[in-house]
Amino acid sequence: MEQQIYILIVEDELEVMDALVNDLEKFEDTFPIETANTSEEAKRVTEQIYGSGDEIGLILCDHVLPGENGVDFLISLKNDEKSVNSRKVLVTGQAGLEDTILAINNADLNYYIAKPWTREKLHDVVVDELTEYVIKQNYDPMKFMSVLDSIRLADVIRSGRITDR
Amino acid sequence: MKLSTKQLTGLLSGIIGLIIPFFLNIEGLSEAGHVALGIFFLAAAFWMLEPFPIYATSVLVIFLQVILLSKEGFLFQSATDVYTPDSYTAFLGTLANPIIILFLGGFVLADAAVKYNLDKNLTRLLLKPFGTNPAFILLGLMVVTGLLSAFMSNTATTAMMMTVILPIIAQTNMKDPMRIGIALSIPFAANIGGIATPIGTPPNAVVIGALSQQGVNIPFGEWMILATPLVIIMLLFAWLLLLFMFKPSTKSIDLDMSGKFNKSRNALMLYGVFVITVLLWVTESFHGVKSAITALIPVVFLTLTGVVSKEDIRKLPWEVLWLVAGGISLGISMKSTGLAEWIVTSIDWSSFGTLMLILVFSAVAILMSNFLSNTVTATLLIPLAVSLATSGVAGEGFSLIIISLVIGVSASLAMMLPISTPPNAIAMSTGTLETRDMAKAGFVIGVMGIVLIVLYALFYWPLILN
Repeated sequence: MEQQIYILIVEDELEVMDALVNDLEKFEDTFPIETANTSEEAKRVTEQIYGSGDEIGLILCDHVLPGENGVDFLISLKNDEKSVNSRKVLVTGQAGLEDTILAINNADLNYYIAKPWTREKLHDVVVDELTEYVIKQNYDPMKFMSVLDSIRLADVIRSGRITDR
Repeated sequence: MKLSTKQLTGLLSGIIGLIIPFFLNIEGLSEAGHVALGIFFLAAAFWMLEPFPIYATSVLVIFLQVILLSKEGFLFQSATDVYTPDSYTAFLGTLANPIIILFLGGFVLADAAVKYNLDKNLTRLLLKPFGTNPAFILLGLMVVTGLLSAFMSNTATTAMMMTVILPIIAQTNMKDPMRIGIALSIPFAANIGGIATPIGTPPNAVVIGALSQQGVNIPFGEWMILATPLVIIMLLFAWLLLLFMFKPSTKSIDLDMSGKFNKSRNALMLYGVFVITVLLWVTESFHGVKSAITALIPVVFLTLTGVVSKEDIRKLPWEVLWLVAGGISLGISMKSTGLAEWIVTSIDWSSFGTLMLILVFSAVAILMSNFLSNTVTATLLIPLAVSLATSGVAGEGFSLIIISLVIGVSASLAMMLPISTPPNAIAMSTGTLETRDMAKAGFVIGVMGIVLIVLYALFYWPLILN
């Protein structure tokens, strides 16, 4: 089987988790979704994904979690070679300024979504981040044109990624 | 690296194909011809089933010929009465064959055009006169795509045009069949447009390379005179076909034509070099400066002036040059070992008429290249056609140039499947159409292509060439 690119959602409130998974339904065929309620569980899921040779393209993470908080979890990922390039998005209403600064400076945070979000906004962010991910990882742009930002991906092909044969 | 069943089959049959001729004694075929046959089997299996990238196979082909067939190789260090080995430089030299240098010039121009957005801005400018009527916009898209892909790679042109049509498709009603028509128009026009000039697409290089080995030089402008009328008719036909198959229900389309030409010093330099180079190419027959020499103008001036940087040079599609060089190099030993002639004379061609031969070569080329790389198709067929013509077994009326053109053009007219060409694959990946849409329209184009090629080969090309 081909390598899968996962979306990982870390969120402790069930309703919020449901809403997120629902809103991301249209990506699931291309990017399977994994969920975790705490950062400890998230670490186990991460290990599992890496263990089967797959990777994580995007992590949507709440800040306030039981146990280790979201920002600390993201910082811990930064030290893992495999998740260095994963796109990291904080989805939260409650991260204070200091935590946010910490996340940007130390966890390579790529985006901050404030709760409550709109479905459109979430879509746009997910599309942008995953597009960035597949371009940076040098994946075949054609595989993702129907779900991600097709114009940006076409531009990657135009500048020589794929040639006549 | 994990190989699929198809790739594994390719790998095994390639290796077996290479070895078997060493243990055979085929009558009428020289010892070196046996070796060349083995290399041909290996190349065909690897190129068709792709256990390795096709450009890697090309380099392997050059390598095998050098170590097995050249004067410096292991087997034939001195000439025999049936085989005079070529120097290894003949095989290595294909990497700097004039047609390769011509392509290099084209690549540098196209790459710089993309870098300074010349392709996008030209598209906007050229699309303006086509108004807002969907039928004319479709025509405009196809004309512009065809024109650009004559000078840039078909793939890059398609990708660029996608950035133009995707917004149109996004704002069109999901039920409007025009969405499919537009999505198909781009790859079709790009495939067709590539035929128009020698640098339009790699199969043209294979044809020109093979002909030049026979001492036939086709100037840039002459190729255009031979090919462009066919391109124009195919484009118009494809336009009408798509209009008919996918009737637009919208009355008008708004195109966002905003954007400005880059006017920086570098960009202006590029525009100048572009115009001069293309003019010199097109007028080769008048001034006699070979197109490969002209091709050095963009390479020299754009690098001297820093318009094209070291990073840009690294990004050029070098693998395409390897691919073509490998094909040209295979032709060398097929000819010098007598293999090509042996294959040709082992079939009784006299039962075919000229018309039949053209029809068969064209149909086989289109069929093959629907599944294989266009360049590989041309590479595998052209040595046969060349020896058929030069050995005289096919009779008087059978012209070397015409049959080569038939193969080259046919290789570009296969567009039934997403795998047929990278432009098709790109259009498919946007998710706006289904394979059967492409297959239906591509089939009609293929059939029309064969008919048109036969007519051109019988009437128009002889007129120009004589």
